[in-house]
Amino acid sequence: MDTILSGVVSLMDRLLPFAFAEPAFMKRALLALLLTAPTAAALGVPLVQHRMAFFSDAIGHSAFTGVALGVLLGVSPSWTMAAFGAVVAVVITLVKGRTGLSSDTVIGVFFSTVVALGIAIISREKGLTRNLQAFLYGDPLAVADVELLWMAGLFLLVSAYLAFLYNRILLLGIHEGFARTKGVRTPALEISFALVVALVVTAAIRTVGILLVTALLVIPPAAARNVARGAASALWVSVGVATLSGFAGIVASWYLDTATGATVVLAAATCFAATALYRATRRRE
Amino acid sequence: MTISEHLHTLEIRGLTVRKGGVEILSGIDADLRCGEVTALVGPNGAGKTTLLLAILGQVPYTGEIRFCRAAEHGEGAPRIGYVPQSLPLDADAPITVLDFFALSAQRRPVFLGVSRRTREAACESLERAGVGHLLRSPLGRLSGGELQRVLFALALRDAPDILLLDEPVSGVDVAGEELFCDFLSKVQRDSRFSLLLVSHDLSVVTRHADQVICLNRRLVCSGATTEVLTPGNLAAMYGADAHLFRHAHADGHGHLHDEGGR
Repeated sequence: MDTILSGVVSLMDRLLPFAFAEPAFMKRALLALLLTAPTAAALGVPLVQHRMAFFSDAIGHSAFTGVALGVLLGVSPSWTMAAFGAVVAVVITLVKGRTGLSSDTVIGVFFSTVVALGIAIISREKGLTRNLQAFLYGDPLAVADVELLWMAGLFLLVSAYLAFLYNRILLLGIHEGFARTKGVRTPALEISFALVVALVVTAAIRTVGILLVTALLVIPPAAARNVARGAASALWVSVGVATLSGFAGIVASWYLDTATGATVVLAAATCFAATALYRATRRRE
Repeated sequence: MTISEHLHTLEIRGLTVRKGGVEILSGIDADLRCGEVTALVGPNGAGKTTLLLAILGQVPYTGEIRFCRAAEHGEGAPRIGYVPQSLPLDADAPITVLDFFALSAQRRPVFLGVSRRTREAACESLERAGVGHLLRSPLGRLSGGELQRVLFALALRDAPDILLLDEPVSGVDVAGEELFCDFLSKVQRDSRFSLLLVSHDLSVVTRHADQVICLNRRLVCSGATTEVLTPGNLAAMYGADAHLFRHAHADGHGHLHDEGGR
């Protein structure tokens, strides 16, 4: 594992002979972003089709409680955050299908509950607030080698998941009843999708933070919608926008001395604005 | 009529659907027959869509829904096709008609491209439905009539044994009507195929359906179209003020009017 990482590092030295890429922490931050941002952007395309932006925001905010639980139990917060996010994702998905309430109402209830629970725990335990800062705003500059390996693993997992199930997930997002007649096993697929979203959201929190994590899943697919007509171009434009913003964001944050996560999201927002402009001018012609 | 006249593809016995303690459908008995068009009529909220969903196995029910498949129909469970009323899509959804066909036709994820076999099959069935030019159009930008023809084309591609059409003629233009007649001739040609049609338009029902099932939370009546669509049954279904009468339209079809509402 170490040999792979050192190989990647020396490759980056050769490809990026710039001041910003010199420190090891910057290389790790760049790798972390180039692994998580395109993964989130690819998953974001069906997520937007399913109108689940609010869902991903709820999972992101469940990290408050996840991190608090980790510190309380003396376990690594990254683990409890992912585990708690997965539990919340499954519970929301199950409850949503069993009540007459609209899904945004169900999500709203859980969203507030988990945030309140997280804040309640944090307010009891003095000294927890400092721990939370890194999760609230994200801190890609502090990513450890072992976390990079996990992110690479998640990248492969999501790629395989989408390669096998993308068509069915998209069909489900278009019309559930119709998808079922085409042999889509809806409850199982919905739960697996919610779980994968939860994993990606909690991994991406490391880079851009709780407050901004939904941006990584929503802005690149939204930008792609401005220019793509078909399902294939939508995914690749989304991944391209995420890769570009990840790279541009980290470089800009180095020279502007701004928070890396926020700068990456601003770069993605700039891509969205550019595609929206492109679309507006094309329409007028 | 063909030999398969009395062959049932679907038998419904004592079907009851409850939702939140309320009986939406109670004690429905009905049959679908091979090579025939069965129309499902009834006022809004009569449970027509619920009956479709029960047949599709998408709502819990008590009672029995039996699919019958004679040996000559082929092996395995019958294929049920479903044409929904509409697709709730954004106009901007980046999914073309071809992508939509590919989603249920190929293993390869659509972001890695559409296989040639999928494209050829899609072209062929779209051409047959008279909408070959829509292959690369965004799905969310189709007009109501175009979308219905695309959905018809997709249903035909998968050669179902039973096809459930939900309100297929509402908002369909003249060309759509012709396509619909095409469908019916296919039903008659191919004895494997039976069609259950949910419709509000009694002119379509009187012209095209062999059998009618009248529904208003329970079974009002069922049988051959000419015997069932009587003023008495319509009154039982839609209320006493409803009348089926003939307009001075060139086509001379019956339309249902609710005079009490005026």
